Amino acid sequence: MSIAFWEVSKAFGPKQVLENVSFDVETGQILFILGKSGAGKSVILKHIVGVMKPDKGAIIVDGQNVTRSDADGLADIRRRCGMVFQHPALLDSLTVYQNVSFGLRTPQFARTLKRPMTEAEMRVRVIEKLALVHLDADVLDRLPQELSYGMQKRVSLARTIAPEPRYLLFDEPTTGLDPITTRAVNDLISELSRKLKVTSIVVSHDMASALEVANRILVLDQAKVLAWGTIDEVKRCDEPLVRDFLSETLGLSLAEAR
Amino acid sequence: MSAQGPLRRELATLLLAARLLGQTLAALPGSASRWPETLQAVVQIGIGSLPIIVLATVFAGLVVTNEISWHMDQALHTVSMIPGVTGQFILRELGIAIPALLLVSKVGASITAEVGTMKVTDQIDALKLLGIDPVKYLVVPRFIATVIASACLTLIAISVTLGCALVIAVIHHNFSVLEYLNALRPYVGVGDVFRALLKGTVFGAVIPVVSCAYGLRCQGGAEGVGSATTNSVVTSTMAVILLDFLLTYLFTSVF
Amino acid sequence: MIGALGGFFHGFLGEFGRYCLFTAEVARTIRRTRGNLKPILDQISQVSLRSLPTVAFAGVFVGAILVLQFYDMLRQYDAQIFLGGLNTSAVVREVGPLIISFLLAGKIGAYSAAELGTMRVTEQIDAIECLGTNPIQYLIVPRFIGIVISSMLLLVLGLMISVLGSMVVAEFACGLNFLQYLSTVPRFTSVGTLGAGLLKSGVYGLIVASVSCFYGYTATGGARGVGRAVTLAAIYTNLYILAANFAMSSILDNLGKLLP
Repeated sequence: MSIAFWEVSKAFGPKQVLENVSFDVETGQILFILGKSGAGKSVILKHIVGVMKPDKGAIIVDGQNVTRSDADGLADIRRRCGMVFQHPALLDSLTVYQNVSFGLRTPQFARTLKRPMTEAEMRVRVIEKLALVHLDADVLDRLPQELSYGMQKRVSLARTIAPEPRYLLFDEPTTGLDPITTRAVNDLISELSRKLKVTSIVVSHDMASALEVANRILVLDQAKVLAWGTIDEVKRCDEPLVRDFLSETLGLSLAEAR
Repeated sequence: MSAQGPLRRELATLLLAARLLGQTLAALPGSASRWPETLQAVVQIGIGSLPIIVLATVFAGLVVTNEISWHMDQALHTVSMIPGVTGQFILRELGIAIPALLLVSKVGASITAEVGTMKVTDQIDALKLLGIDPVKYLVVPRFIATVIASACLTLIAISVTLGCALVIAVIHHNFSVLEYLNALRPYVGVGDVFRALLKGTVFGAVIPVVSCAYGLRCQGGAEGVGSATTNSVVTSTMAVILLDFLLTYLFTSVF
Repeated sequence: MIGALGGFFHGFLGEFGRYCLFTAEVARTIRRTRGNLKPILDQISQVSLRSLPTVAFAGVFVGAILVLQFYDMLRQYDAQIFLGGLNTSAVVREVGPLIISFLLAGKIGAYSAAELGTMRVTEQIDAIECLGTNPIQYLIVPRFIGIVISSMLLLVLGLMISVLGSMVVAEFACGLNFLQYLSTVPRFTSVGTLGAGLLKSGVYGLIVASVSCFYGYTATGGARGVGRAVTLAAIYTNLYILAANFAMSSILDNLGKLLP
């Protein structure tokens, strides 16, 4: 077991955003968390890296309780987790190369490598990761604002996977992307999990992508878990909202087929 | 981007501010029908910024009147001048400039942020598509509200600072309240209050127009709103200082 | 009205508490940070160069306004000769630092709040944190030190420009030549005055830096949030500057009384 939530509750003032949420993800699996906007999906990711603390319950990453961890423990957990934000969130005063290599220059990364990485190694690593997201080396010295939104998002993805984290947390990775880039991102998620045994948690409202790449699906509505399980289990679920989500996507794919 | 790019943008914004002033003044006679929005803006701008501005003015009033008293004591070797000198300084400068500068950073900045957010989220275009004139709907109520608020704040700030000066004269220089008021009377008159109100009104007219112009020319998401607000605060501050100089020159040297 | 006041103080105290905690955190991080002056120097040169024209403009006109006002008042007592001393002293001691720091609050403070706020709402700060770098150390510390130093620098420059500008205005508008203007300056100002002015600029610089970094760093909610951060930074910088001015003047006054 790698990441587990155990009866986690969280409220912002009077507004309950998570209520007794429990689930777990095994190594190499891909979990999609689906739900309407504002259902508390992104909050789950922020709890995993310890940016937010739950009001109640526990979050376990690799057998370590995130809630009870001190600063060093948290830094350690964050090193193993790569977070992909909804927006590209590239540092706009740094070039693409500087952005992607940002995580390789930290003391924590040097600790896991037992020595600081040389500039030449970094360059190789950066080009390799950019290739994974289908970007050429000629973007290296460009500034983020010179790239299109889709390219920025891919650079952001490359930046996250550069330190080779064991967990990838995606916050709406395909929102605002064209269908071709969406497919590329989905393929990348599957590939990372297959080849490198990376565990992914993807927050999304894109049921089509979920059916395509997920091993597990969790449907969240109004702070509560509506459905959780494999694709087949979720397909058999008879909660109205889950059915709505499914029929929308299946209807769409039927229309595409015609 | 060319070197004079930013400068040209600033000039274009100032031109827009001038045009907005004209359009606003032209739309004023017909604005009575939109009194609910205007009233709301008056309450929001006037009452909303009153506590913080009065608090800040008290701090400034205590310190500056104390300093002026000390200086006059040093220069003229008599404390009998203190009421007249501090009173004049408050009515002519201190009680007007300090609230105006605070109004810039409180009201001016929030107008730019508000209008700028509407601009970058396409709400201004939506208004236009609905056939609503943004000048009449957005600028005019804020203009009226800021002018009224500025005039009132000037009077309030003058009273508060005079109160501070009185407190300092009583505590530090052994005046009684009555002595102070008697010594003050020959030096200040209705004309001073009138000129102070005129200054306050002019500042109150410039702030919303400049702030709206920066808001309406805002572009490029969160970053754009931030930099528009910054530029608006700086330009309004400079405009207030410049107008203050011109009006002071007019009042002291010409009239 | 009472309700507005009550609400203002209630919200204000909570925010003031968070502001103090943030500033303490920055101070702790600065103590832990070693070496690397380059980002700080970059900040200083960027901020100072961008703000210099504005500060010079404000300095000249603030000096000019005071010259006109003081001249008009002194004329009533036939004491025009004191104009130089009075004006220089008022500019260096009180009015100059106040008004120029208001302008810095708008120019440097609001700019930094906007910059940091944009980085916050576009999740750049979260990204830095998730990549294993302390954002306070990486973003805030160089800005903080840079703003403090450039505020002091600009304030001192602004005061000098203001004094020179006042002399020119006195010559043309009031018919007082430079020597007459300067003759009464020593009577009102001393090295101590200059020291007090410098101390004030340091404190104001600290306020500009801490308030603007705090509101920028804690911004939430898209374009609206950035706007709100800038607005709050601008007004609270001014308020805290005035409050600090009051506190320092009281302390310096009482110190002066204690010394013979």
